[in-house]
Amino acid sequence: MIYIDKYAYISKLKHQDPIYKLVFCMMTLGVCLWANSIIISIIALLIMGWHTVCKGGIPCAIFMKLMIIPMSFLAIGVLTVGINVSDKKDIFLFYISVFDINAGVTQSGIQNAAHLFFKALGAVSCLYYLSLNTPMVDILQALGRLRVPKLFIELMSLIYRFIFVLLETVEMMLTAQKSRMGYSGISSGYRSLAALASTLFIRAYKRSDELYTSLEARGYDGELNALHESYKKGWIQYTSPITVNLILIAMTLIIRHFTGGLM
Amino acid sequence: MSKKKIWMLGLFFMFALLPQTTFAMHIMEGFLPAKWCIAWGVFTIPFVLVGFLSIQKTVKEHPKTKMLLAMAGAFAFVLSALKIPSVTGSCSHPTGVGLGAILFGPTAMSVLGLIVLLFQAILLAHGGLTTLGANTFSMAVVGPLVSFVTYKIVKRANGPQWLAVFLAAALGDILTYTATSIQLALAFPAETGGFMASMVKFMSIFAITQIPLAVSEGILTVLIFNAIKAYGKDELKDLKMFSKEV
Repeated sequence: MIYIDKYAYISKLKHQDPIYKLVFCMMTLGVCLWANSIIISIIALLIMGWHTVCKGGIPCAIFMKLMIIPMSFLAIGVLTVGINVSDKKDIFLFYISVFDINAGVTQSGIQNAAHLFFKALGAVSCLYYLSLNTPMVDILQALGRLRVPKLFIELMSLIYRFIFVLLETVEMMLTAQKSRMGYSGISSGYRSLAALASTLFIRAYKRSDELYTSLEARGYDGELNALHESYKKGWIQYTSPITVNLILIAMTLIIRHFTGGLM
Repeated sequence: MSKKKIWMLGLFFMFALLPQTTFAMHIMEGFLPAKWCIAWGVFTIPFVLVGFLSIQKTVKEHPKTKMLLAMAGAFAFVLSALKIPSVTGSCSHPTGVGLGAILFGPTAMSVLGLIVLLFQAILLAHGGLTTLGANTFSMAVVGPLVSFVTYKIVKRANGPQWLAVFLAAALGDILTYTATSIQLALAFPAETGGFMASMVKFMSIFAITQIPLAVSEGILTVLIFNAIKAYGKDELKDLKMFSKEV
């Protein structure tokens, strides 16, 4: 069900410092949002795609397939931003009228929509770079090194573990229900789903109870400790993301100067 | 076909295809301008902080609740990955906002919601890192608060339990979408008519898709809640630590 996670564990970039990946991802994301430029977004998309596919060894088809996931939201969002309603007709490039109301597209509307579309695509690719190359365990460890409160990280790691336990349970119950025609109609579907969710809740509760008992039996005192992989330290590794982003910023300024924010 | 007819056909298909979009309520990565990402993040911090401190206190007093909270978070994540058969015939995902708020209280939900949204962004690519603040505000702060308050009001007015649960879940859902529409409208005011016009645009799209979903989620939450009450009385008693009374 969750295949992004599976790829994160087989990525060739898995052993890179997670803080490095976090910094690279967030920096490029920030530049992408700030630049609001079609060209820069496409370049960011290419950089992140190259890192994930060529360096990380994630199949290109998977990366493409993932890029399609947010399309439905993006399409609706961009259309909503692009289409305007007004009682004047002359501001529109083309429009339709229903009764007295005109809905249409203005030139700046198209521009905004196009910027938004590419900006979001570029940003999503940065997110995929992080999530396809960094296992969640490493992200949590990185957050710990960044001084996020311990309780928060522990909750996160427990939730992360439980998600898969519960998903397995759900899949089993779904198969059982489906094979008995549990979702053949709307009313039976509701009944089955309610049974599934409530059973899941009670099972989850019991599981957490058992887990606590078993942890306590092994000397649990409020902290789950594990050994972490050690990474190369030092500021030198951050030079490449910083250079890449400085180049992007410079390019944005040049593009803005020549096209006046059109691209 | 005349130009007008083509347009009408296009619009028809747009709205006909709309309800099939799932997870439409998470604002995707990179969709909000930087200043709104920061602003919503800042608005969310106090709520998450209050939630975190209250959790910290509860966990210190009853260490077992940490496991319980983690299970609750995982439950919310898995619940949002299920499909509800919607009244309109298409499928959608429950938000679990109402159920979570009633079971665990709005304070715990703000922290759990933040974590669940972060996992959804990283593991499922629904939502995003930069829009995490905005999504947390609408789904983990506004939604649960509305659900919780609705539930309390109906209970206090001696309304039946099922009505309280139904209204809490449905209203929590609708207000979550309203909050999302406001966030989108503030970030993208329409050229003609500004914020209000843009708000109407986003609201009408959300209303078409989400009101049937809110109703289905309300029905589902009532069914789930009744089942939990029937089979898990002891569990509900323990949960009182988070929301005082259920």
